[in-house]
Amino acid sequence: MSEMTPLNYEELRSLMVAAGLFVLGAIGFLTRRNLILLVLSAELMLHGVSLSLVTFGKIHQNQEGQAFTIFVLTVAACEAGLALSLVLALYRQTHSLDIRLWSELREFDTPVPVMADADGPQSLPSAYDGIPLLTPAGRQPRELPRTVNADPKRPDRTPV
Amino acid sequence: MNEWMQQHPASIGGLVLWAIGLLWLMPSGKPGKSRPGLPGIILAAAGVLAFCLGAGRGIDTLQSEVMFWTFALTALLCAALMITSKNPVYGALWFALATLGTCGLFMLQSAPFLAAATIIVYAGAVIVTFLFVIMLAQQSGAAGYDRRAQLVVPAVLSSFVLLGVVVQQLQTNPLKVERPGIVAAEKQSTTKGSATSPPPLPSPDAPIPPPPPVIPAMLSKATPETPVGSMKGLGRSLFGDYLFAVELAGTILLVASIGAIAIAPRREEGAL
Amino acid sequence: MSQEMLAPLLCLIPAAPLLSAVITALLGPKLLKYRSHIPCWSALAVSFAASLAVLLLLPQQNSAATAGFIPPPDMVAAPEAESGAATAPAAIPTLAPTTAADKPEVVVYIGEWLALEPAPETAEVNPADTIPDKNRQRSGMRVPLELRVDSIASIMLAMVTGVSLLVALFGSGYMHHDPGYPRFFAAVSMFVFSMCMLVMSNSFVMLFVFWEMVGLCSYLLIGFWFRKPSAAAASKKAFVVNRIGDFGLIMAIFLIWTSFGTVDFAGVLGNPDRIQAIAATNSGVITLICFCLFLGAMGKSAQFPLQVWLPDAMEGPTPVSALIHAATMVTAGVYLVARCTPLFVLAPQAQLLVTGTGAITAAIAALIALTQTDLKRVLAYSTVSQLGFMFMALGCGAADPGLATMAVTAGMFHLFTHAFFKALLFLAAGSVMHAMGDVIDMRRFSGLRKALPITHWTFLVGAAALAGVPLLAGFWSKDEILAVLMAASRTGEHRLFFGSILVVASLTALLTAFYTFRAYFMTFWGPEKFPEEAGHHPHEATPIMAWPLRILAVAALLIGLAVGPTHLFSNTLAKTTGLTPFEAHFHLDVMALSVFIASAGIGMAWMLYVVMPKVPGTIAVVLKPFYVISQGKFYLDEILYVLVVLPLRGIAFLSTLYDRLVIDGLIDSLGTVPRVLGDRIRSLQGGVVTAYAGLMWFGLVVLVVICLGIS
Repeated sequence: MSEMTPLNYEELRSLMVAAGLFVLGAIGFLTRRNLILLVLSAELMLHGVSLSLVTFGKIHQNQEGQAFTIFVLTVAACEAGLALSLVLALYRQTHSLDIRLWSELREFDTPVPVMADADGPQSLPSAYDGIPLLTPAGRQPRELPRTVNADPKRPDRTPV
Repeated sequence: MNEWMQQHPASIGGLVLWAIGLLWLMPSGKPGKSRPGLPGIILAAAGVLAFCLGAGRGIDTLQSEVMFWTFALTALLCAALMITSKNPVYGALWFALATLGTCGLFMLQSAPFLAAATIIVYAGAVIVTFLFVIMLAQQSGAAGYDRRAQLVVPAVLSSFVLLGVVVQQLQTNPLKVERPGIVAAEKQSTTKGSATSPPPLPSPDAPIPPPPPVIPAMLSKATPETPVGSMKGLGRSLFGDYLFAVELAGTILLVASIGAIAIAPRREEGAL
Repeated sequence: MSQEMLAPLLCLIPAAPLLSAVITALLGPKLLKYRSHIPCWSALAVSFAASLAVLLLLPQQNSAATAGFIPPPDMVAAPEAESGAATAPAAIPTLAPTTAADKPEVVVYIGEWLALEPAPETAEVNPADTIPDKNRQRSGMRVPLELRVDSIASIMLAMVTGVSLLVALFGSGYMHHDPGYPRFFAAVSMFVFSMCMLVMSNSFVMLFVFWEMVGLCSYLLIGFWFRKPSAAAASKKAFVVNRIGDFGLIMAIFLIWTSFGTVDFAGVLGNPDRIQAIAATNSGVITLICFCLFLGAMGKSAQFPLQVWLPDAMEGPTPVSALIHAATMVTAGVYLVARCTPLFVLAPQAQLLVTGTGAITAAIAALIALTQTDLKRVLAYSTVSQLGFMFMALGCGAADPGLATMAVTAGMFHLFTHAFFKALLFLAAGSVMHAMGDVIDMRRFSGLRKALPITHWTFLVGAAALAGVPLLAGFWSKDEILAVLMAASRTGEHRLFFGSILVVASLTALLTAFYTFRAYFMTFWGPEKFPEEAGHHPHEATPIMAWPLRILAVAALLIGLAVGPTHLFSNTLAKTTGLTPFEAHFHLDVMALSVFIASAGIGMAWMLYVVMPKVPGTIAVVLKPFYVISQGKFYLDEILYVLVVLPLRGIAFLSTLYDRLVIDGLIDSLGTVPRVLGDRIRSLQGGVVTAYAGLMWFGLVVLVVICLGIS
């Protein structure tokens, strides 16, 4: 009824471009430190995926590739909205978009990751709150030498 | 692997040039002496060109060739510029351009509705939102963390290794695909043409062919009335086979918008 | 008299206190508050009235009968079992050649409480088991919720509810303005319910359940002022010591079930031939059952060496001491042994143990009571001592099985009278305590007879009754105990044993008279002296406290005379299953002895504490070692601590060591494996979000390269 045919070069190069877009998005996600650029890179990866879905849909002669792409579009829109509002909330805490500042969830005995930047804060400023303090994982909690958020008005938030 | 390298020198060279261009373009973090961007752009463009040429050349119409090259180069180059731009505003704009290129490729893959929708959603909504956020969050030009990338070499190397492996697989073991829609349509037309002659009776000696597997009638299948990418076919797929998922996606959108409203504003400034 | 009338009355006796307990517990703290006594009073009054009615109507019951609600349909299949259980005493000749008409009893079926599936047939048929009995056929265990009243139970019920009512009246005055007022009455109601159910239970399992319930109520009420460390410790001690006894009781129930195949009173006790058959095939088992039962009784009734909890239980409110730890709960052991007389008759060793333990307890407690200065503790040791008296009497059947009924009658009679005069004494002591601002040390007050006239007179009546002054309650019952001991010392092979017991009992009676009046004289005679806690004008008992005292005093005066010489008590009690009526007569020799004993003890107390108040100090100095031993309560607490608690602590310490070192070590060493592994890769969690994404990405790359490179 039907026979197996190889991909033609149009389909092949479309898939290759899709792979390229995906990889570029991944590189962006890994190398950049700006929260907004990270979200954009993730969107780029989604573009790559969408393109390959569309291409495969055409190859297989059905609508599912495009239907899935519409779902990807929807989820991407949701993700963008939520991610941006999160970015805004984070920015309000630190007045910086550097992702390196958000290293509070590290193991308690690993050093604070610092990059030698010419400007910008090197660690979280003291004026953030609304973030729960978490117990370090893995071992019995012990006193952490952390003074940045010793807030006299809220003694319950001082590290124990 | 070696065989592939010898057969597709363009792909290998393209990948290498592209990677070097990216490495060149990546922000290095020294504020005084930032590298000029042009050599990197040229390298990357050459790499992208060679990479896409590796797919082979066909004898399709000139129009579609031009469109493909334009869109593919736009998408990949603008993506490369987006991930290397020091200024997030430029990054967002490059991203918009890359989106346009992708949408062009969508169009070439017979997805015009999707191309339009993506442009509307991304260029019309997402990018604008991004720009608003960038303007809200970053008033003072390029910050230190934008001028200095991290993990550059490992990320680029590993990513291009992945890309190389994938491309090698695509080129050496091209997927054999069943193209049922077209074949079935062609066969149908041929049988319609010779409808007067009765179908030959199966000889009693011939082995009885196994009954065809019962496949539920999927609305997503392309038919001559609803070819791939047609609004009608897409609509039948979405609101036929995937109606429940569509509803779910709508709910997710609603939840996400409520979440965004809940998260973003400052508490003391109202709104939840 | 038709049983249709008795059945609701029977149900009413425990139902009213239960309802009161629930109401008081639910509504008391918020709604009733200092009106919480109202449900308790009314419920106890109803119970008392019902008990009196049952006591009066029961002898007119012509035959044993079963009444109650219609059993559920699945139980209809075995109506014979039920009626068989109830009418067994009627159909089967009992130990005594009496007809069933003499053994009135009423059983009210309320519902099924526990029904275990039949065990697989063991095909082992006891050859002695000649009597067809529905309960015997290995039918699993069936414990219906039944109320059963016979003569002994009706007497107990009337006594329990009557004393409870008076104590509740007194308690509302005594506990006035205590923040735990509702709690007190809820617990007292609950206790009365449990005690009534204990008395009315128709099987050993139900008895055990309510045995534990009264223990629980006792725990709650001893620890009523739980913020006081001594009260909390005392309640804990009472609970733990009682567990030892409960162990014995539960072992006895297991033994009864395995050897009798049923736990019904009717099936076990109402069938002397079967008991004898079992004793014939397995002679040890009845004795073992009796030992275990007596161990249970020892715990509840504070017999040596488990008596240590009762004096400490005086940390509870005084009405509680009067009700639970003098009149009712502590006599449950005596009741149990009396109830199980058909078993004990066949176990002379166990009876000897009962008598011996009773004698030792009575003597030791009396000796300790000689030197105590805490009024309530004197009374507590007196309670222990009197309980010892009761057990002394109960064991007298060992001399001659014919004496068993007389022995049980003596013990139960003493239990009965003791409940009244000891409750009276405790309530009077409570009145003293109330007036003295909760001071109970007799050295700190004296000469109260002018300040507290009602308390003085009522205490005097109680003390005289306890000392055995002629014609008062204690005189008659103690007289019977001495009489049965004397009879036992004249017959049988254990003459010498019972003779020495008689001597001990007489001396203990002398000591009893002496320490009782020592306490009386020390409290009410001598120069008038008040502790500063009392203020300058100690207030006499309020009417609500005084009237129970007066009523109890009248009871202590007259009840012995009313039911003792008239043989009313013994005739009623003899209608209990397993007991035989006996020809009671006066023992003038014993009476003379006890009159002499009482007057000697009282006279000695008078001489030492009124006429020559200096002498006791001198005696204490001269006989210092004895004085110290008595004052130190024979150091029984300490001895038990060394003998029992320390070894247990040692075992616990070893267990702890084993747990900490071996088990914990094992688990910890298992835990180190993932910990060591985790320490290697823990540094990857450096807090850099990009690094996490990078790890994912590198992993993906490696995976894809491996998968595609291989293909």
